Amino acid sequence: MKRYEVIIVGAGPSGLSAAIEAAKKGLKVVVFDENEKPGGQLFKQIHKFFGSKEHHAKIRGFKIGEELLQEADALGVEVILNATVVGLYSDKEVNVKIGDQIHHYKGDTVIIATGASENMVTFPGWTLPGVIGAGAAQTMMNLHGIQPGKKILMLGSGNVGLVVSFQLLQAGCEVVAIVDALPRVGGYGVHASKVARCGVPFYLSHTIKAVEGKDKVTGVVIHQIDERFMPIAGTEKHFDVDTVCMAVGLSPMSQLLKMAGCEMEDNPKRGGQVPIVNEYGETSVSGIYAAGDVSGIEEASSAMIEGKMAGVCVAEYLGYIEKEERDAELKIFEKDLDSLRQGMFAPKNRGKKIEKTDEGIDISTNLLEKGYVADDEIERFPGVTHKAGVHPVIECTQNIPCNPCQDACPKKCISTGDNITYLPFVKEDAECINCGMCVASCSGQAIFLVDEDCGDGTATVTLPYEFLPLPQEGDKGYGLSRKGEKVCEATVVSVKSVKAFDHTNLLTMRVPKEYAMKARFFKKAEV
Amino acid sequence: MERIAEHPILGAKEKGREVEFTFDGQRLKGFEDEPIAIALKANGVMIHRYTKKEHKPRGIFCAIGRCTDCVMVVDGKPNVRTCVTPLKEGMDIRTQDGVEAAEMKEGEGA
Repeated sequence: MKRYEVIIVGAGPSGLSAAIEAAKKGLKVVVFDENEKPGGQLFKQIHKFFGSKEHHAKIRGFKIGEELLQEADALGVEVILNATVVGLYSDKEVNVKIGDQIHHYKGDTVIIATGASENMVTFPGWTLPGVIGAGAAQTMMNLHGIQPGKKILMLGSGNVGLVVSFQLLQAGCEVVAIVDALPRVGGYGVHASKVARCGVPFYLSHTIKAVEGKDKVTGVVIHQIDERFMPIAGTEKHFDVDTVCMAVGLSPMSQLLKMAGCEMEDNPKRGGQVPIVNEYGETSVSGIYAAGDVSGIEEASSAMIEGKMAGVCVAEYLGYIEKEERDAELKIFEKDLDSLRQGMFAPKNRGKKIEKTDEGIDISTNLLEKGYVADDEIERFPGVTHKAGVHPVIECTQNIPCNPCQDACPKKCISTGDNITYLPFVKEDAECINCGMCVASCSGQAIFLVDEDCGDGTATVTLPYEFLPLPQEGDKGYGLSRKGEKVCEATVVSVKSVKAFDHTNLLTMRVPKEYAMKARFFKKAEV
Repeated sequence: MERIAEHPILGAKEKGREVEFTFDGQRLKGFEDEPIAIALKANGVMIHRYTKKEHKPRGIFCAIGRCTDCVMVVDGKPNVRTCVTPLKEGMDIRTQDGVEAAEMKEGEGA
């Protein structure tokens, strides 16, 4: 039996962050992970993260994964892969299956950072090859470089469903629809909008009636449901698809904690069976901590902070640091975590219907019901202003904890005010130099640079563009509306791709000036 | 299904060397150390196994080794999770029927 000061289960964002903090304090750390590669789900996350600088905002998930691994490695953290922890006991003994053998370890402390698993819903045909989890889609396209399908229907409009839909488009797949049983889009409006403007329709209050096919998926039928989730006859709609993707929530993988005798509870706000923990993740069993999704479904940024907290706590538990030092560090982490748990999508607001922003502005109902802000709604948000010459138009309409835009502008044009969740606005006296940093840094791809009147009856719109093939200067095509419909002719004026934009290309298109506030995407004309 | 030649964020994927393997006796190509399931998918294979009682087809579902829907008979060993098992040169991969290899049709086989 081998002994470690800290045994961490799970080498995802939370487990690695915990390992880093504990190792920094001088503890001997081992991390077990059942997978062949470390990083958990981070290496499938190719979008830019939300949050603030402290939360790795505007850095893509897989880059954060690389950074964590390097840091853990430099600190001498031992990561053992292909190692499935199959047993955890109250005296912190750990059984690990490696190959065909069960190995026995003893931890002075244990941090469980096992994350979550995907939920599923069943319908006729759900077991057919071609019905997959959203995680499977991400794994196939972002890790293994293969398209999950050609024509795909996404079930679920939470952040996972929206983000994966966008990634499917980036992988060259067609997303025929995003379907959700709930009457409102579950994820961030900005995630919905970037998919909607590519022309993906949303069907809220709809669910799958059946998936068709004998040996594999050949089609899918959805139907509308009423407020009691009962199908409404005659509302069936058929799509030819080869793949149906499910993104219907996550459940904490808390079995090991239960096995160890930690007090558990069923908490729908946390996503299911979770351990009862104090504010730093300590369970009812002294020396066993939980961090990340296993103690409540959130996202990678908060999971990393929870991991750090657990790492600092075990250091104090084992006497490597004084209580005062621990408390001082925890205070900083708590502040970080608290800032992430603000806004309308905060865990405390889960399930609540929010109708106004913190600023008192009515939330766009069209955004919640169809995935995009309607033309007659957009003007009421503070980031949407008009002035002569090129200026940013910030279509950020919900209070979410994110502020890279205000640091991005070298001229300090943009501010989110005192609170990270406030809607960004454009400062009146500041001068836009058309550098595009705000457009590229907005994780929600919600900032556009617009010159509403170029003097010749045209306007220019600069938008973030993350698809291939990349359009070229002079390409002719169409301006697409926020809904993704062709609304006008458009010509590409320039395409900027610089390193600082981190693969977000800035496409500037010229449109008739009456479409300056309507055209938000470019589609090349088919030759 | 098609491999992504160049991805707008990830660029071109680094692959292992090309290797040959057999699927139900048929010679196919894939890249070394990619999951077996990915190599099969690239070759258009969707059905990995049939259920024992009702003989219903199953394929990739979770792709991370959790659901066991994609298990196949690999080099004579049944219940191998193909989504997390690296492909090797010369592997003998067979559709699983219940818990054993599906019978091959006349004329198939290596």
